[in-house]
Amino acid sequence: MSDVNDRNAEGRLSRRRVLALSAATAGAIGTAAALPGAAGAAATKDTLRVGWTSPPDVMNPFTFTTTASNEILWLIYDTLLEYDLDLQPEPSLALKRTTNAAGTVFTYTLRPGVTWHDGKPFTAADVKYTFDVMAQHNLGQAAWSLVDLVSTTVVNPHQVVMTYRRPQAFDPAMVVPIVPQHVWGSMTPSKILTFTNKKPVGTGPFRFTQWVSGQYVQVDRNATWWGKAPAVKTIIWNQFENSDVMVQSLRSGQLDILTEVPPVLFNGLTGAPSVKPVEMESFSFHHIGINVSTNPKSGGNPLLKDQVVRQALGLSLDRAQLVALALAGRGKPGSVQLPPSFGVWQAKIPPGQQYNNNPDKAKKLLDAAGYTMGPSGVRQNKKGEPLSFRLIAIATTTEDVLAGQIFVKAAEAVGIKLTFNTLDANTLNNVVYNAKAPNWDIFIWGWDSATPDPNYLLSVDLTNQIGNNNDVYYSNPAYDRLYNEQATQPNPAKRIPLVHATQKLFYDDCAYLIMWYQSKLQAYRTDTWKGWTPTRGGMVYNFTRDNYLKITPA
Amino acid sequence: MTARYLGRKVATLALTLYVTVSFNFLLFHVLPGNPVQMLARSGHFSPAARVQLVRLFGLNHPLFEQYLIYLKNMLHGNLGFSYVYREPVTTVMGGAIGNTLILVGTATVVTIVVGVIVGVIAASRAHSLTDASITVGSLALWSMPDFFTGMILIFLFGVWTHALPVSGIVTSGVTEGLWAHTLDVGRHLILPALTLVLVNAAEFSLITRNTLVDVLVEDYVVTARAKGLSRRRVVWGHAVRNAMLPVITAAGLYVGMILGGAIQVETVFSWPGMGLLIYNSVEQRDYPVLEGCFFLFAIAVIVTNFIADLLYHLLDARVRRT
Repeated sequence: MSDVNDRNAEGRLSRRRVLALSAATAGAIGTAAALPGAAGAAATKDTLRVGWTSPPDVMNPFTFTTTASNEILWLIYDTLLEYDLDLQPEPSLALKRTTNAAGTVFTYTLRPGVTWHDGKPFTAADVKYTFDVMAQHNLGQAAWSLVDLVSTTVVNPHQVVMTYRRPQAFDPAMVVPIVPQHVWGSMTPSKILTFTNKKPVGTGPFRFTQWVSGQYVQVDRNATWWGKAPAVKTIIWNQFENSDVMVQSLRSGQLDILTEVPPVLFNGLTGAPSVKPVEMESFSFHHIGINVSTNPKSGGNPLLKDQVVRQALGLSLDRAQLVALALAGRGKPGSVQLPPSFGVWQAKIPPGQQYNNNPDKAKKLLDAAGYTMGPSGVRQNKKGEPLSFRLIAIATTTEDVLAGQIFVKAAEAVGIKLTFNTLDANTLNNVVYNAKAPNWDIFIWGWDSATPDPNYLLSVDLTNQIGNNNDVYYSNPAYDRLYNEQATQPNPAKRIPLVHATQKLFYDDCAYLIMWYQSKLQAYRTDTWKGWTPTRGGMVYNFTRDNYLKITPA
Repeated sequence: MTARYLGRKVATLALTLYVTVSFNFLLFHVLPGNPVQMLARSGHFSPAARVQLVRLFGLNHPLFEQYLIYLKNMLHGNLGFSYVYREPVTTVMGGAIGNTLILVGTATVVTIVVGVIVGVIAASRAHSLTDASITVGSLALWSMPDFFTGMILIFLFGVWTHALPVSGIVTSGVTEGLWAHTLDVGRHLILPALTLVLVNAAEFSLITRNTLVDVLVEDYVVTARAKGLSRRRVVWGHAVRNAMLPVITAAGLYVGMILGGAIQVETVFSWPGMGLLIYNSVEQRDYPVLEGCFFLFAIAVIVTNFIADLLYHLLDARVRRT
């Protein structure tokens, strides 16, 4: 669900930056692994050993913020519906879902005979409790999807009905982990917020076993789970502070799969014996954000409110070059908000309408709009105000810093001056999100989708997200209208053109210049477990948990 | 030792603690913005959920009020509540302190013992090839960053020969008896401890060598030799003792420094100690945990100094007279 936290892992917010040693020693160690004697330690037959560098935070499904916690909790708790390996809905605690014609009422028929890990029976009351407590108290990552929830009604112990204020294109049942009322029901909201949930009780395929802080988390197969018993008996997620050591542990057979491999190390895995590196599409992008705030206290350069200037900046940049240089080729050039992993939902911009790699057109646009070349190669408007802007990026996100340097050169070539500074993630966050007086011009950052549904990424730049997620203070009534239209259109055939129109409108406004969609890079051993299915978003660390349930011993 | 002297020292101690604690608070609270925004952005929290978190972390109070609450909590031994783990900071720090003590304690003892022995060998063969090799070798190891030495050891023992585990403190998923567990921790301890020893032993070997070289030409050493004592007894029994004073001073400084200085080694070897906790807390902006860690380090330094003061007072008549 929270691919957003890949920003933790992949680096925009609190990326775990390995010490400077990574790059320096990657080469040396890469050579070593090819030496004889690097045979792996014997793998335990029924244990899956996962390696990651981003640690979990809490095991409380209402309070966790990391993708790592999500990965574990989604095997302990079930949702009503799960994502399958094609990221399509599949039955889970709900066997069947029916909706009314308007798309406002969802009826779920629950699976009979399901028990909680503590042996107590699972009923519709648990479902009602979970949806109600999340919606009423804004608890958990799924709360954003429940804003329109009017009521949850228990029809009988195996049937529950959710009624929404407006038609719902996205079914929250995909993302709400069902918790037992007999564990949580007596807690106040503030108690829930501070509850560490050291022994999570769910209905899922795995039971929580232990979490050795800073080391690993272990779950074991739930013998009474309702589904087909997975071949994996134990899953252990091992925490590494250093990607090099983690990749070495995969090479030497101490791990079976890695959730994320940095591009440089990924390229080094090609040809490694019994290791398969897999490049997949992600649900993420990195973007250049331009301050378009209309707040009179905004310290942003007002010249950036001119769409022509923003379009010229977009045209100055060669996205293919960015991918090649900043991502070592592991990604795709960016355009609209939805990455290619969204398939049919992504709007395709015809080459002639793209704001990409066309400096000549940028110059013509600026000429036509009256920005004449001033002294020292910087264009200016009729009042003599130069097109000179501040650019900021997160210092530890190397690909963004590289992109920033390329951007400065590209803008200079069309007569726009950028002064580039790097900040730490927290400072950048505070500068950008200072909603009362946003004093910045242009930043480089990124987003990851919370769901494989378009709603999350498209919602970021709504007017009502100013003060929350909206990082460029974009406000366009036409955009808000289009968004609401698509979000309340339950028929996909009718929704797709609306989703395309929403993206196109935002694309042309150029408040975001999306640079790239980075790949999801993972690697696994071929001699321990087989049957890994590459999936957009990743084999693991993704919206689907099915790879964990379907792999078999090699 | 007079009661007045002790009283003055305790008062100084209390004042130092108060200033440290206040500075510690200010350090993290005068930063603009608030850490909840970061959690909210990566956790998909709605604006209402964010307000809830602000209240939960007590960030809704004015700064001065937060300071008073912080002081009050401190007096009750409450170091606050981790933003990330949603647990008391003392709980979060508890396990890490033990792990760091295991690593740093072992490494420190071995570092000093090895350093001194190597230094004595070098000094007793001063200006020989052995001495030159030891000195050059020590300097080379000392000038290497500890994370780099760590990576080399990982390469040699983890990647190449698979002789030793290179990550963590225990083998994951193994639950065995106490003895097996201790052995497991011991195996995991070897490489990170060895890294610290290799990098830091030079400090002690060089000090020992240089001091001892001077001592070895003193009259009483010549006398001892003239008495017909064996070379070993002369060096170890007479000279080394007197060469130890600078080593002890260095050891005191070293212990204070290494507590935080193990950050890189703990990171390279994923050793879940204080260094790693700080590293992760900086990454995740878990300010209460950072405050707790810094507070602990400050306490350690202040208390060590306090004890040193008292010891000087006991040992050195000149301090007593002032």
